[in-house]
Amino acid sequence: MSAPAPPRRVRIGIDTGGTFTDVVAVDEETGATTTTKTPSTPADPADGFLAGVTKVLALLDLPGSAVTAVSHGTTVATNQLLQGELDRIGFITTEGYESVLEIARQSVPDGYGNSYFWVKPPRIVPADLVRAVGGRLDHRGAEVRPFSHEDAVAAAHFFRDAGVTTIGVCLLHSYADDGHEQAMLEVLRAEHPDAVVSISSQVLREYREYERSVTTLVDAAVKPKVGAYVTSIRRRLDSLAPGVPFYVMKSNGGVLSAEEVVHQPITTMLSGPAAGALGAALIASAAGFDRILTCDGGGTSTDVTVVVDGEPSLTTEGTVGSYPSKIPMIDVVTVGAGGGSVAWLSPEGTLKVGPRSAGADPGPICYGTGGTEPTVTDAHVVLGRIPPHLLGGEIPLSVPLATAGLEALGAQLGLSLERAATGILEISAWNQANALRQVTVARGLDVRDFTLTTFGGSGSLLACRLMDVLGLPRTLVPPNPGNVSAFGLLTVDVRNDYVQTVVARHADLDLALLTTVVGDLEGQARRALDGEGFAPGEQRMQRTADLRYVGQAFEVRVPVAAGDLDRAAVEDVATAFHAAHRQLYGYDFATDPRQAVEWVNLRVSGIGPIRRPDLVQLEPGDGDVSRARTGSRPVFFDAWADTPVYWRPHLAPGDVVTGPAVIEEFGSTVPVHPGFAAAVDGFGNLLLTRTETRPEESA
Amino acid sequence: MNADPVLVEIVAGTLAAIEKEVETSIGRTSRSPMIRDAHDFRAGIHDRHLRKLTGRSYSALVQPVVRDHPIDTMNVGDVFFHNDVYLSEGGIGHLPDLCVTVPVFADGQVVAFVQAFGHHDDIGGAVPGSMPSGATSMFQEGLMVPPIKLWDRGVPNQAALTIMTRNSRMPDSLAADLDAECSACLAGARRLGELFERYGVAAVEACFDAILANSTEVYRREILSQIPDGSYVWEDYAEHDGVDPPMLHRQRITLTMDSAADVPLTIDFTGTGPQAKGPINHCGDYSDGNFLKKWLAPVLRNLAETPERMAELDVNEGVVPLIRMVFPEKGTLLTPVFPAPTNARTFVILRLLGVLAGVLAKATGGRMPADQETIRYTGVYGTDSDGEPYLMREVLGGGSGGRYYADGEDTIHVVPDSRNLPTEFTEGRFPLRIERLGLALDSGGPGRYRGGCGYEKHIRVLRDAHFMSIADRSILACWGVNGGRAGRPFQITVDPGGAGEHEVDALADAEPLRAGTVVRVRTTGGGGWGDPLERPVEEVLQDVAWRKVSVAGARRDYGVVINDDGDADLGATDALREQMRSARTGDEPFFDRGPGYAQLSGGATHNQFDHL
Repeated sequence: MSAPAPPRRVRIGIDTGGTFTDVVAVDEETGATTTTKTPSTPADPADGFLAGVTKVLALLDLPGSAVTAVSHGTTVATNQLLQGELDRIGFITTEGYESVLEIARQSVPDGYGNSYFWVKPPRIVPADLVRAVGGRLDHRGAEVRPFSHEDAVAAAHFFRDAGVTTIGVCLLHSYADDGHEQAMLEVLRAEHPDAVVSISSQVLREYREYERSVTTLVDAAVKPKVGAYVTSIRRRLDSLAPGVPFYVMKSNGGVLSAEEVVHQPITTMLSGPAAGALGAALIASAAGFDRILTCDGGGTSTDVTVVVDGEPSLTTEGTVGSYPSKIPMIDVVTVGAGGGSVAWLSPEGTLKVGPRSAGADPGPICYGTGGTEPTVTDAHVVLGRIPPHLLGGEIPLSVPLATAGLEALGAQLGLSLERAATGILEISAWNQANALRQVTVARGLDVRDFTLTTFGGSGSLLACRLMDVLGLPRTLVPPNPGNVSAFGLLTVDVRNDYVQTVVARHADLDLALLTTVVGDLEGQARRALDGEGFAPGEQRMQRTADLRYVGQAFEVRVPVAAGDLDRAAVEDVATAFHAAHRQLYGYDFATDPRQAVEWVNLRVSGIGPIRRPDLVQLEPGDGDVSRARTGSRPVFFDAWADTPVYWRPHLAPGDVVTGPAVIEEFGSTVPVHPGFAAAVDGFGNLLLTRTETRPEESA
Repeated sequence: MNADPVLVEIVAGTLAAIEKEVETSIGRTSRSPMIRDAHDFRAGIHDRHLRKLTGRSYSALVQPVVRDHPIDTMNVGDVFFHNDVYLSEGGIGHLPDLCVTVPVFADGQVVAFVQAFGHHDDIGGAVPGSMPSGATSMFQEGLMVPPIKLWDRGVPNQAALTIMTRNSRMPDSLAADLDAECSACLAGARRLGELFERYGVAAVEACFDAILANSTEVYRREILSQIPDGSYVWEDYAEHDGVDPPMLHRQRITLTMDSAADVPLTIDFTGTGPQAKGPINHCGDYSDGNFLKKWLAPVLRNLAETPERMAELDVNEGVVPLIRMVFPEKGTLLTPVFPAPTNARTFVILRLLGVLAGVLAKATGGRMPADQETIRYTGVYGTDSDGEPYLMREVLGGGSGGRYYADGEDTIHVVPDSRNLPTEFTEGRFPLRIERLGLALDSGGPGRYRGGCGYEKHIRVLRDAHFMSIADRSILACWGVNGGRAGRPFQITVDPGGAGEHEVDALADAEPLRAGTVVRVRTTGGGGWGDPLERPVEEVLQDVAWRKVSVAGARRDYGVVINDDGDADLGATDALREQMRSARTGDEPFFDRGPGYAQLSGGATHNQFDHL
């Protein structure tokens, strides 16, 4: 703290994707960002991670000691953990509930009659590795029958003798009292000390035994591998920048220190899309938009999130792989529509696009790497809407190959090359549009109130069509759209969530009990933040509660004010609940005294704020976009026309590019359709808007 | 006008999306547990020719609405309502299914309909829940509302709503649920209207034609092609109607396949038994059986190449041109005469799915699943410690039948996305303790591919209460096929293993339970598929390890002898299996109905149609 001339210091965000590891470094003083990417290393993602850190430091000509913190997010690493053979896991449950995993919730997906042919996927624990112990609590946590120490020892010995060293424990009603689960944990520690154990009262203190069991088991399943992965990075990071704070992105939109991750590994699953949503939210918020739909387009799929007032919506209805997870996570809806989505003829003889993807191998036809099925990328390149190469020229694309493939497909439908290509893109756009509408409808929101924010390699290609189909007012395309996720990693706070189910009617609330529970949750949150090095004054507590009308089987989450939980405070919560219920579902019972309100869960999020990177304002240009023009090429929108092409890094604030046009940059392209224009704002974002009323449809 | 192939896919995708949005919206805003938890509700989109366009779920019909309110009298903002079974053209099976229909307008004309119905808490009648198991007349089952205009140009008809809520024991949830259905359908209608505005009525309607024609063609090519030309007869039975003593209530299908005919498949219900006194009748013989064609068609999908392909196939109006239905004279289970009661018609129409599966199994030499569970309701009611009345009612699934490619699944439910009640929910809400929620051992029908297991649920009442049940398959079982054996039937036992142990009839309105008593519910296991002696020993061992088959059951049903250490005695197994094989006559029927059949048939173990 007493360095004579403060050296440059940077924070680094690293997002490990399927193909590339994206790196963003932000200068702690100036806010300037430096980006790069390195190939991902699926065999050991830690290799790519370290290569990325080294590469960005080399670009900046800085030593490891200049790094103030590293934040890491990854979908792929965790997915790989999931796709690999899961270890044999053991499950300990309450006597009488040995088959809770087989029974699940009895639901058969999709249509009527599917129960005849549906084949249930394998359970996370085979039934012979399930053991039950006697003892029973009621829903308030009171003991109905004592914990059977004898059963517990027998279970521990069973797993020890079977060589099962990963164990999940979920006992009935242990969200209300963890006594029996703690007793079980002690027995396992004593009798089977090698076992890695997750107990449900530590993973998720929320009612519904099937979902809590599976969530606990997923936590247990990934614990050894996530632990090893994080520890390995920590060790190698220490050789570069000893002791540098190392954070891992969580799916709830916060980060967690690597030291803590090993204790709650499930919270880091599926964190990649969360970072992108947060990064896009920050960028759009700085640009002046508070209701955004983030649309992160990759090769195989597109991730969509709703963000209102900078807060991405959270869900506790998520899944990890095929397993339900009740851990709070940013509500990302994944649509099987990306650049590699395959266009195909169904047995019904209709043209379909996706959800199957050609992926990176063999990839789209135009990659020339053996792909034979036309994809969305092939349609774009044939129509001239993307350049005949990727990543600024590193990877050439073959237009003739793509043309031949699309012509063959079109011939089967009696469509010309252009109609086939535009048709594929139109179908892909509608698939995305229907998904975007679904995510807003499900929340009682109107999609037309939202600014679309597109990023990722393929996110912006159909932006104009989406605006048209959905009636959206505008689309924002951030600079470096390929690095939004890595950037997002640098924008998030340390955040831990705690929940306690306490079911009580609003009219009969025991305020002392509520105060105690919230106090306990905040105590846990503060202890965790203390451990992360946040001074008490920095720590923020965010309280929420899940309420419902008596009789409903789902809850609505509403904020709870800080301070005393007196009658006035809880009345405010009830009022907020009525309003939120109306927003979500179109009605409420605020004025109907017969409809009782019930409290279900109390939640506290402990937040340790991290300094967000400042977005840098750019110097305005002279408004003459010819400075960025690199030439022209024939592009098909409504007809073939010679269309100007612009190099985005040369555009400046104040510039307006009028469609038809194509704006290119490294790793991303924005086709500006006729009738649309792209304006550059002060931060270098492109703002796409409609310049004329919607033209007649040609499809 | 020829359909644009690109627009066809856009229209199909958007129809599916709208249907899903309507259902999402109803599912989230309704308050009746039957809608919210058991997912007993459906949305559907129909064109102006009343053809069902969407395929994810069956739905009610628009025919009755248009019959009483001609299309040219409809206005923007109108919402139609009906639940009257006999005036629903067969689209509504019982009165608690309240149906809302909204016309979609484009260019000032009606171009389509968005419709939804949901099973509401209570619409009056003799008992709470409006499903009196001993009803002998529809007048005991609740309020009948023929198609009426519930909203006129955006203005709700308060008089009608007041009458309906006054007739319900749960007026608030009825009002809320109706509101949810109306808002969801109106929103769906607006979205569909936008599609017509964007592309034009003629272009969109050409897509509707193409979607339905494609569907017809796919069923003809992939499904009907699997059925050899010829005539096949089979029948199955409901076991009781709630009024008469248990008996065989016959449902018969004569299926005739003629691949050269314009309408290749004929389903003839002649031979179906007389109308029941109790509420198991279904009004099938309206609109040429239009509802039943779409209701039964999902079973046809089992003839597709793979389970994945089966799941892909839509069931829309495209199946209708392929099927001709022949009904018996008035006065049978499928042609009841008003006011014959219908509230438990699921016993008949769900059984009908199985009759079709069985007759197709005969036609295809067994390339169909064995029999699976049906809808049943069980519940406990009483007053809680605050003196407030409560009703814990749930729809518990059962095992599905063995398939030629897989075992049946445990505890699934025929209604898609239906959910059971978590114990941690039940115990927090009702004065009950769920002592066990497990699988019913040995309940799955033995077979090369075993039937799935049913539930075994032990409910302890903490205060004096009553138990209710509306279930069938408590005597008859889910049948096995092609050598597979029947699953175990539904069973309710009070105080199992205790001094007061006794069984309760599957149709019980008010079985008294003293505080502290346990009632055990076992639901049906699925039928088995193929010869159980052909089931590999290691699969039987796994069944035992997985608590699905007992050691005794392994020996009795599969001929697998298991030692005390849990391993199979292979020598003894071979010998026992050989002995069991040699005890066969070689003339075993193709279907196994289980031991209960003889109780009702006068001693026969099978009927004249049960052999191949």
